[in-house]
Amino acid sequence: MATKDKEWISIPMTVDVPYRFAAGGYMTKCLTELRDNGKIFAVECPKCKRVQLPPRVVCAECHVKNEKWVELPHEGTLMNFTIMYLPLTDPTTGKPHEPPFVYGSVRLDGATSVLDHMVEVEPDMDKVWVGMRCRLVLRPKEERIGDLSDIRYIEPLPGQKKPQTKSR
Amino acid sequence: MTERVAIVGVAQTRFAPKRSDVNYGEMAYEAISQVLKDTGLALPEDIDSAISCSHDIWDGQTISDIGITDVIGGHLRAEEKMAMDGSTAVFYGAVGILSGEYSCTLIMAHTKMSQTNRHIVNNVAFDPIYTRMLGFDFTSAAALQARRYMYKYGITREDAARVVVKNLANAKRNPCASQSGDFTVADVLSSPAVAPPLHKLDIAPDADGAVALILASEERARKITDKPVWILGIGTCYDAHYLGDRDLADTFALEKAAGRAYAMAGIKNPRRSVDLAEVGDEFSYQELLWLEGLGLCDRGEAGRFTASGATAIGGKLPVNPSGGLLSGVPANVAGLNRVAEAALQLRGEAGDRQVRGANIAVAQGHTGFCGQHQCVVVLGN
Ligand SMILES: [Zn+2]
Repeated sequence: MATKDKEWISIPMTVDVPYRFAAGGYMTKCLTELRDNGKIFAVECPKCKRVQLPPRVVCAECHVKNEKWVELPHEGTLMNFTIMYLPLTDPTTGKPHEPPFVYGSVRLDGATSVLDHMVEVEPDMDKVWVGMRCRLVLRPKEERIGDLSDIRYIEPLPGQKKPQTKSR
Repeated sequence: MTERVAIVGVAQTRFAPKRSDVNYGEMAYEAISQVLKDTGLALPEDIDSAISCSHDIWDGQTISDIGITDVIGGHLRAEEKMAMDGSTAVFYGAVGILSGEYSCTLIMAHTKMSQTNRHIVNNVAFDPIYTRMLGFDFTSAAALQARRYMYKYGITREDAARVVVKNLANAKRNPCASQSGDFTVADVLSSPAVAPPLHKLDIAPDADGAVALILASEERARKITDKPVWILGIGTCYDAHYLGDRDLADTFALEKAAGRAYAMAGIKNPRRSVDLAEVGDEFSYQELLWLEGLGLCDRGEAGRFTASGATAIGGKLPVNPSGGLLSGVPANVAGLNRVAEAALQLRGEAGDRQVRGANIAVAQGHTGFCGQHQCVVVLGN
């Protein structure tokens, strides 16, 4: 016996809350150095000496105030990565990143923490691996705006081949 | 196991319309580092739990993953996040110590109202299927409450304006206050209409800031300070969510929360026992309404009580000697600031706003539109 589908009401709604986030003292210095001088600055804990990126007011492990700034090189090692098949949105533009693309975390030489960003590499498991040596590629100086997009992406250093291992 | 919980330290940032110079963590650290310095306590060794208080939509990030954990000492330790008024964080902190699980708890509330739009944030508090599409916010809901309260109890705009005049003058003595000054009742009445009967000066302004406070068990408190402020009683209560389910001139939730707090404190007659009150005057008329709900004067009498000068510094029952929320205290921080100000008064550390001879203080915080959730803390020295 056929029954008529019961109707259920639902209300479409976009919860659209505008924000303007203060970067604060530490990130203002970090982003200003990136924009104006193309430099990456981190903070070093006076107690445990961990070099922390992003720079922040307090070392979480020691609960002491971070006051020493250290400049980091633009080269480092890929600590992890994923190939993305979801068109995730950039909330500053509202536009999706076109899949497939690669997210990765690079530990710049001398840093304790990693920098997460897009990796400019073919989304192919033979072209990207943990331990790959990488460098940051910045926007040209005249195009920098003082946010994390001034780093365009992480790219592999040339002349490397994926080591032959069983695991991926 | 402890029988009593004390406030052993209090620190507050200055409140300002906009703190462009600090992010959330840096702002919170101003208050946290100061309260640690004042008490001589260190993180992590001296403090075994932390509660931070803000609100996902106000913050624009889930409060469970922001940089607050580092500055409050929650890294690889216990930190609870709470999304209600900061007075309720004191309730949870006291419960944790009374349970015997913790002996010393750092509580911190923070919000930067400057980073977004209060009307849009507050609209999200309304039922998406029912009243949200009207665009309702806390100010429009408060205007309905103010109208109803004025109608039912004969309260006038002048009665409410006297609260503004008193609190903004009190705020001149408070170095943390965001706004203060010498205003007249006529100034308040003639300030721009926002949602009559509420005009601009009837409404607490946006502010950025943070408050930190340390609770300790009796045993720990005695070692930390010679001026502990005891939590004598504490109570919370929810009212209905839908405005239409309440007569907005009534204060049932506050009466129940206050009743629990007074009973715990052994207070039979709050009018005789309470020396000062810090209440959540998010809107001018609310100071009057909450005074009645707290049982500190008869229903409908708060206007005359205020006009008599009884609630001034130096009056019979000073109310909001700090300047209250009308002097500019962030949402979410509001009630913790009430508790902190009451504690400073009982410690004799309230500076130019000090009330003489105060031994028992009441602090009241509320969450949601029209004071839906109420928290009452009775403090004594
Ligand atoms: Zn450290």
